[in-house]
Amino acid sequence: MTELTIAIAKGRLQAETLDLLTSAGLVFSDQALSSRRLAIEDESGRFRLIFVKPADVPVYVERGIADCGIVGRDVLLESDANLLQPLSLNLGACRIVVAAKNEAGVRQSGMLKVATKYPHIAARHFGARGVAVDLIELSGSVELAAVLGLADCIVDLVETGKTLEENDLRVVDVITESSARVVVNRASYQLKAETVSQFIKSLEKTIRRRGEP
Amino acid sequence: MNVAAGFSFTGQEPGAIYFCMSELLSRMPTGMRYYSGAEARLRRMIETTLMSVFDGWSYEEITTPTVDYYSLFERGMGRSQAHHAFRFTDTDGRMLAIRPDVTSLVARAAATLFAERERPLRLCYAAPVFRQQPQSHAEWRRESTQIGGELLGAHTSAADMEVLAIVCEALERLDLDRDSSITLNDVDVFNGIAEQLALPAEARNEMRELIDTRNAADLECFLVPWSSAEESRSFAQLIQLSGKRNILNDARRIITNPRSQTALDRLERLWSVIESLQLTDCFEIDLGDVARLDYYTGLTFKIYVKGAGTRIGSGGRYDDLTASFGRAEAAVGFVLDLDGLTDLLMDRSHQPDLMPASMEASQPRGEKLSDLFAAARTKRARGERVLLNTNEVMP
Repeated sequence: MTELTIAIAKGRLQAETLDLLTSAGLVFSDQALSSRRLAIEDESGRFRLIFVKPADVPVYVERGIADCGIVGRDVLLESDANLLQPLSLNLGACRIVVAAKNEAGVRQSGMLKVATKYPHIAARHFGARGVAVDLIELSGSVELAAVLGLADCIVDLVETGKTLEENDLRVVDVITESSARVVVNRASYQLKAETVSQFIKSLEKTIRRRGEP
Repeated sequence: MNVAAGFSFTGQEPGAIYFCMSELLSRMPTGMRYYSGAEARLRRMIETTLMSVFDGWSYEEITTPTVDYYSLFERGMGRSQAHHAFRFTDTDGRMLAIRPDVTSLVARAAATLFAERERPLRLCYAAPVFRQQPQSHAEWRRESTQIGGELLGAHTSAADMEVLAIVCEALERLDLDRDSSITLNDVDVFNGIAEQLALPAEARNEMRELIDTRNAADLECFLVPWSSAEESRSFAQLIQLSGKRNILNDARRIITNPRSQTALDRLERLWSVIESLQLTDCFEIDLGDVARLDYYTGLTFKIYVKGAGTRIGSGGRYDDLTASFGRAEAAVGFVLDLDGLTDLLMDRSHQPDLMPASMEASQPRGEKLSDLFAAARTKRARGERVLLNTNEVMP
């Protein structure tokens, strides 16, 4: 019987996450991994993985459909979900930044037009600085907004900075650092205490082992 | 015929007039819902069962106003909680709120209306509470019904234990005790530590937040400027675990300030009683449960049940609350979430004997309208369930 359901963020973090879980002792058949199924079980049958969009990980975990999840901190900051975050993993390290064509564009007073996939994070960042913003919520290719003048600046995730560079944008401000986190549903944390804490400990051991040279 | 604005008739058949309402009338505000059929019956049975448990422990039912001054809830719950209430102004310009919480209203009644009554006071209620903003994404309801009890005027461990015993019995009656976990903590464990570290208010809130989300790694880093590395490390580990008596033993080794020690003593006393009653399967000690700290002054607990993704109830000791209403006294209480319990029990295949099969209905007959109703009243007088045929046109 499945003891623990774990929500995995598809995309950017997916391969690294599966790699980590495998190092931590979970075994998945190649057949399961290569299939297009959205829910797979490990060989022992104790763990079930479900693959969902990153922004949906906190949704599944908060409502207890998944007991745990592995997702970037950027997604958690944006979702404001009521979850436990017992472990930080050094996977998918990146930064959430304000980027613009030049600094002058962001220093102007009055109203700042900000294009982003992260409206909450952007609103909080500029709100704390007393800057009035017109938030333009986009779902992709956010850089283009600053290039074409839809917005004065963008708030976006930056891993290597290459996309920014190629589009002649520069980082004006770093809002926060982000990396993958393990999140746990509050009820599961109590009702499946032993299984959850074993799972977290095994991940913790794995990342510590990897951290050693 | 007068047709109200917003209705437009589209059907013509007599007796079956179809009309579509404007979207404004058909749409429900978020977080509101209807109950009907089996769900409504189950909900009523749960309420009756729980209220009978309170009655069994000599708790008297109290019905509070639905609307009261906003300032009452602000004093009672604290601003951060109270501002979630639906608010509007009275004719004299004072701010009113639709009850977001029952405990504040009970505490005020105890301090005023029942000031002269003998202590302790035992009061219970089943009442809907309203929030303009839901508590979290998963707790999406803006109207939810709380079934709760408050024991006022007693500061003893016996009072704390009485409340826990009632929670246990309530879960047993609903056949949920084997799938439940009641997590215990005492806010003074945290308060003592914050005091010892001499944390300024902002740092204190940050520390609470880190503990609340069990973010051990960040907590350890956070504590480094305030205490030794070893202490930080062991404390960060402590809040990650919930467990039985072993948690208390571990805590005693790490936490040495007198305020926290006294809190640990209190928890230990309760735990010994729980052990002697053989109820340890239902309980956990969880020193990481520090949410909504400002409200409580001693014991706090949360109730989780398998199958529900969020907690199904919570409670604790709030000795300072009644002072806001002019009479300081000890108090402890808890609430259970009727809507959460209804969802949970509806989902379970083995619905307990909460819902007795309803009686078969019989159809009274009569040639004339007067005969029909005479027959119906006779059957009702015998306690039978009747179902009238009201479609027939009768002389």
